[in-house]
Amino acid sequence: MHDTAHAIPPETARPLLELGNVEVVYDKVFLAIKGVSLRIEPGQMVALLGSNGAGKSTTLKSISGLLAPERGLVTRGEIRFDGIDLLPLPPPQRVASGLVHVLEGRRIFGHLTPEDNLMAAYATRGSRQRYQELKEQVFTYFPRLKERARTKAGYLSGGEQQMLAIGRAIMTEPKLIMLDEPSLGLSPLLVQEIFGIIREINRDQGTSVLLVEQNAAAALGVVDYAYLLENGHVVMSGEARVMRENPDVQEFYLGGAGKVDYLNVKHYRRRKRWLA
Amino acid sequence: MDFQFLLELTVNGALTGWMYSLVALGIVLIYKSSGVPNLAQGAMVMIAAYLVWVFSSMLALPIVLALLLALVAMFFLGLLTERLLLRRMVGQPIIMVVMLTLGLESLLRGIGPGFLGAAPKSLDLGLNMMPIIVGEVFINREYLVGAAIGGVMVVLSLLFFRTRVGTKLRAVSDDHVSSWAVGISVERAVGISWGLAGIAAVAAGAMWGSVQGVDWTLTTLLFPAIAVVILGGLDSIYGVLVAGLIVGVLGSVIPGYVDPLVGGGTRDVVTSLIILLTIMFRPHGIFGREDIERV
Repeated sequence: MHDTAHAIPPETARPLLELGNVEVVYDKVFLAIKGVSLRIEPGQMVALLGSNGAGKSTTLKSISGLLAPERGLVTRGEIRFDGIDLLPLPPPQRVASGLVHVLEGRRIFGHLTPEDNLMAAYATRGSRQRYQELKEQVFTYFPRLKERARTKAGYLSGGEQQMLAIGRAIMTEPKLIMLDEPSLGLSPLLVQEIFGIIREINRDQGTSVLLVEQNAAAALGVVDYAYLLENGHVVMSGEARVMRENPDVQEFYLGGAGKVDYLNVKHYRRRKRWLA
Repeated sequence: MDFQFLLELTVNGALTGWMYSLVALGIVLIYKSSGVPNLAQGAMVMIAAYLVWVFSSMLALPIVLALLLALVAMFFLGLLTERLLLRRMVGQPIIMVVMLTLGLESLLRGIGPGFLGAAPKSLDLGLNMMPIIVGEVFINREYLVGAAIGGVMVVLSLLFFRTRVGTKLRAVSDDHVSSWAVGISVERAVGISWGLAGIAAVAAGAMWGSVQGVDWTLTTLLFPAIAVVILGGLDSIYGVLVAGLIVGVLGSVIPGYVDPLVGGGTRDVVTSLIILLTIMFRPHGIFGREDIERV
């Protein structure tokens, strides 16, 4: 099953997030993920890699509880976060328990100002002082948002919108931030900047991060650990350093270090086995 | 044809318009916080008027108490609407939800007269009926009170949407899925917005019930209210006041001159034309938000 021998993360008393054999079915017929297991330790930064349609976003939605609007359902397996069973909880309660999902395509509240975007994400019962503190924190990480705090968020640039989406997530005071394709449509330089800030948040606040990416090269540059998802299965996992060195990963996801040989069928056979 | 006549039509038209705004406000409150155009608001106004009548006339409670009870009842009726009807509609196309509100409108329209009889009931709010005379213009006192209440409600709504809860409601109207993703309970937000629309319906129901009696015809206020929200912009609270003024004045001045020539009924034509022309030439209304095309 697993192609590569890899370092299993050290067993701690309790992982922050643990998925055990999770299966998701859309519309009662389409099996999107087929028994995904993964775990994230407190403070760890983990990437979930894989090509289009591998089931990465579905995995995130099963964790944040956002499958229902797309008629998806977790039909098997369990998801535990910080010791509690997430599956029976509606999305707002999952956020209250300390996880937050930054959606693909950013999905900021376009008709609200960035400041109101931040306010909308802050708990109704939280104190005004804590709200100010968190807002300042967001503006420290993303000074550009402060400059544009009062324009409609829909008119921000793609990069600024991504920053706002991350800032909005910070307002929920998460233990785990899950980001779905934050690099989408951004320039390589901007991707680097944003990934750097995510890493900073991870280090400063001890926030765990689950980063879903197609851009494997950029992701493996910042995370501690990575899972590789193909066709609804975890086909490989390991420390980022080890994954980067892996010849298959290099070839299929990192651009093959300059010598992709499309005539060499052997590799494709190997990849086909993953996709089976 | 004199200036006096025009002035009187204008002033009373403006006041009528702001009373339409009371009905329209309920529609905007719901749209602004959940993105649903509520076609049942006219029927909610009627139910609210019946409730005020039941509490004040049938149960002979003091009018202030009757109004307060009606406010509470309508707020919970709004919450209940979300719980029983709208919660199942999450993720469905918006047209389905619109059809649902249309069904609700028919249902409510039948319920009031069905239980309490179809004959119009008179609702006495204890207001002085004597018209106010300014110069030589007669101003209807009830309409003046109604217009003032409309203004107050608009200001309160504006303030509400700047609070933390109000901001969350605006977020919900923007994007349900990303509201969930940051921990906003979309269900609760929609429930609150219907509850607030219920409160607005009490203000509208009491004033209009006092002016024209309580019966099913109150539901037809939906029509001018729709004209107001379309002209003002479905999600604009300022728009309710400005468009209310325009719809009211045009719907009073034009019939004032044209009705004697054609034998009446011009007001509905004016209202329809406002709806049609707005949709054709300015689909988002005067203040409505346009969809932001970017990314």
